[in-house]
Amino acid sequence: MTERREHSREAVIEALHGVAAEMHDRMSKGESPTMSLPVRTKKNIQFDKRLGVYKYGRKRTVRDASSLGSARQLLRALHIIEFIEEMIESGKSSTLREMYYISEGWGNGKFGSQNESNNLAEDLEIVTRCLREDFRLRPEEDGSRIIGNMTFNELNRRGEWMRINARDDVGDSGYGVPYNVEAEKIELVEHDVDFIMAIETGGMFDRLVENGFDEDFRAGLIHLKGQPARSTRRIIKRMNEEWNLPVVVFLDGDPWSFRIYASIAYGAIKTAHISEYLATPSADYLGITADDIGAYDLPSDDLSPKDIEALKAELTDPRFSDGRWQQWI
Amino acid sequence: MAASEPGPRMQQASISEFFEKNKHFLGFDSLTRSIITAVKEAVDNSLDACEEARIPPVINIEIRRVQGRKDELILTAQDNGPGIPYASIDKAFGRLLFGSRFHTISQTRGQQGIGITGVVLYSQLTTGKHTHIISKVAEEGVAVHVDIGIDTKRNRALKSNHRRDVWLDEHGIDIPHGVMIEARMKARYQKGSKSVHQYLRMTSIVNPHAAISFRMLDEDGRVIEQASWPAVTEKLPAPVKEIQPHPHGVEIGTLQRMLRDSEQRRLSAFLQKNFSRVPSARAQQICEIAEISDKASPKRLKGEQVRALQAAFKRVKLMAPPTDCLSPIEDLLIKKGLAKAIDSKFVTTITRDPCVANGNPFQVEVGLLSGTDMPSDSPIEVLRFANRVPLMYQQGGCLLTKVIESVDWRRYGLEHPGGRGIPKGPVAILIHLASTHVQFTSEAKEAVSENEVVFDELRRALLEVGRSLKSHKRKSTQRAKAREKFELINDILPEIAAKASQILGREVPELTPVITKIMKAVFIEDEFTWDADEKRTQVNLVLFNYTARPRSYTLLAKWPERDGVEIVDDSHEGRREVYGLRKWKLDTLESGESVTLRFAITGLEKDEWTETEVFFRGAGDIIGATRLDEKMLDQMRREEEAGLLQITEPEFEEAIEAFTGVAERAQEADEVGAPEELDVEDEDDEEAVRQTTLEDGWGGGE
Repeated sequence: MTERREHSREAVIEALHGVAAEMHDRMSKGESPTMSLPVRTKKNIQFDKRLGVYKYGRKRTVRDASSLGSARQLLRALHIIEFIEEMIESGKSSTLREMYYISEGWGNGKFGSQNESNNLAEDLEIVTRCLREDFRLRPEEDGSRIIGNMTFNELNRRGEWMRINARDDVGDSGYGVPYNVEAEKIELVEHDVDFIMAIETGGMFDRLVENGFDEDFRAGLIHLKGQPARSTRRIIKRMNEEWNLPVVVFLDGDPWSFRIYASIAYGAIKTAHISEYLATPSADYLGITADDIGAYDLPSDDLSPKDIEALKAELTDPRFSDGRWQQWI
Repeated sequence: MAASEPGPRMQQASISEFFEKNKHFLGFDSLTRSIITAVKEAVDNSLDACEEARIPPVINIEIRRVQGRKDELILTAQDNGPGIPYASIDKAFGRLLFGSRFHTISQTRGQQGIGITGVVLYSQLTTGKHTHIISKVAEEGVAVHVDIGIDTKRNRALKSNHRRDVWLDEHGIDIPHGVMIEARMKARYQKGSKSVHQYLRMTSIVNPHAAISFRMLDEDGRVIEQASWPAVTEKLPAPVKEIQPHPHGVEIGTLQRMLRDSEQRRLSAFLQKNFSRVPSARAQQICEIAEISDKASPKRLKGEQVRALQAAFKRVKLMAPPTDCLSPIEDLLIKKGLAKAIDSKFVTTITRDPCVANGNPFQVEVGLLSGTDMPSDSPIEVLRFANRVPLMYQQGGCLLTKVIESVDWRRYGLEHPGGRGIPKGPVAILIHLASTHVQFTSEAKEAVSENEVVFDELRRALLEVGRSLKSHKRKSTQRAKAREKFELINDILPEIAAKASQILGREVPELTPVITKIMKAVFIEDEFTWDADEKRTQVNLVLFNYTARPRSYTLLAKWPERDGVEIVDDSHEGRREVYGLRKWKLDTLESGESVTLRFAITGLEKDEWTETEVFFRGAGDIIGATRLDEKMLDQMRREEEAGLLQITEPEFEEAIEAFTGVAERAQEADEVGAPEELDVEDEDDEEAVRQTTLEDGWGGGE
């Protein structure tokens, strides 16, 4: 079972200081300050046989101060480090969005968009081998919903453990998964289902709930809401490992579905540094495939130019290098 | 009676019939065009009158829709000109096609069609209304108020409702002099590229001395469009000089009329007296070639003799006609004219020296402007002018357009698909052809006809402004890059150092060596400011050495050298290298240091000179300057010795293109290569530049 690495406050601060020290050391030697990190594109992910998921490879990139853009990135990284350190010391936490707004006051170190600040926070995770939970940074992602006869213990905002059954104690919208699904926040108590079904679209999720699919077929249903958030992937992984439940991913069968499946089963490109915590290698693909459309003469829409672009990108994605995928795509 | 007036034959045919038959070239062939033509005739009259009287023109145009009448407009045009005395009003407004028996030619706006009389006639024919005129001359106490119509049977003005009265402006103050006309006509007002607004805008560009305002009112008096273009100079155009025609440029019809009107009894005397550049020996020679007696009577020459005479003109060598009869707008005034009509970030203009084509003196002027809020994906705006008159129709068939199309604008940084047609981009190009005889493709006088000499001359002017555009674009990109780098080392890097040190609780490191590592280059920045008190242009050239070793350079800068323009207060005592190029030898600049070269230029107007080109001699490139090409310098020296200060040879222009192209490519390669190959020494880059330069046959270096 993959246990989350615990990092002490001191260890996190030390790791962050390492980033600042790399810059300082270079400048003291009369060199341009740098920050080195793995290349975060599909060109640099490779299959880790031991873990059964895709991880970043050895390609590294060095960000230095030779251009205005990358120099700004270095300055921003330092501002984030300082911000995180302050939060750790004062025992506070903050959302990524809050950090983005606070950065407005960082002068030359402010961000152009929240996407930039999210990315840089991820860069720091990778470089320091910490998780954003260590940094006291929360996402504002929509948590997903779970329905089925499964019982969770959640530590609520009053500091009390709450026992919730995702069939009996919830309405039709299900149990809302919080952003932190680690053991200190959620315990998986017990279940009486045979498998977990992860569903791409809300319409299909609601249809299955309405039809009582979870009870009739003893299933745990989880709504992915398109490309699933970290917490969604993490809780699927935990249910798979801790309860030893098989996972099927029910998808639409369009080019984007392939990516959703890959991020659950193989690991996502953006979070390849923590694939072993997020990916569920045994998850199965359920739904219409490209073959089915031909074989059963199903009605289909023409691909849009964006779809075609997505498919082209997938052809060169190492996660789809297997013969069956190549053929489907 | 003047010979070119409608003679007895014309009087029998109705003048309205004549008008109807010719309305396409008179400019009244459509409802939308008629109002433009009417405005144009009024404005041309006003500008000509003001210039003749040396009064800075103030012209107000107002158009109003008539209540309850479809397609009927009232045009009011008012100027501050000298006014027309009562006795001349019928001549000025009521007579068609009156000409002069003295066959002199000059660069005039030239009546298109039949002038303001056409407006009076058109109003009368379409609405039955007479044109109301108010005229005031300074010498008389009160103004003349009168209605003018045309007696179409007798080709005469009909005056009615004549009265003498005061003429007051909207504040109740006496108007000292001027003319106002009010004409009601069938016409339709529209907006766009062929509109009254556009016509006035173009007119204001080439008449920077005129203040023009325009209002368009709806039938209920609501203003639906208005604009005003102030005068941007007090300098009126030089009065045009009249010259006699040159034999090489005279057309057969003109020649016939001149012979008929001749006051000389002998052909040789006629030739000497009526043409420029015909001394007696040449007159004899012409007669001999034409096989006509030099004593023949000019009035009695037969048709074939006239043709033989014209053919003979072409076979005799004559001095070119004088060119001082032309009145160009002049490049600085074009710049000001363009600037008042279009918001721009860059304007370049050129007035070429006068030339002669087929016996007619001409001069071309070109302006290129890059606008701030012009669309970048549509064709550039082409502004065509002949003798200061905007040409708005038949753009495609006009020589002035064809010259623009003949240039491959991709070389000068404009989008020009396939190098054909009109290029695209947020740019306007102005072309002005000034000549004593502009050849048009038709009587409509909307498109200039083909002429090889004019074409070549215009093309040279366009290539010249193209080069300025390209060099400006190159400079702006370089400047933007340099600005980024400066921001990086002056703002970001110190903050990185401070923040990292603060987080770690360490000392802030010394940044000078870091800066030279990051920049690894020498930069030059130029700064132009206008010193209003001293009336001079202050120039600062700042050179920064951000390399790890000392550098020494000689800098050279272009400046607008001419009589009355001088460099003063030169901080580094530069010397003249060649015409228009000054040289400064600078002391060695240590790593991390900078030096500022300061000087001022007197004798220029504000905004006349705001950008220079800097060259250098010395090891290692300077971002923002070009390595001096010694061959180019030699060429400039030879040109200067030969008294040819302008570089016009096409081969040489191409050579300059080739050279700057190489320099740019080398520089681009240098800039692209630099951030990746962190360990590459500067010398390697220099070597690369030198090699590329040599391969292309242009030896750069010391």
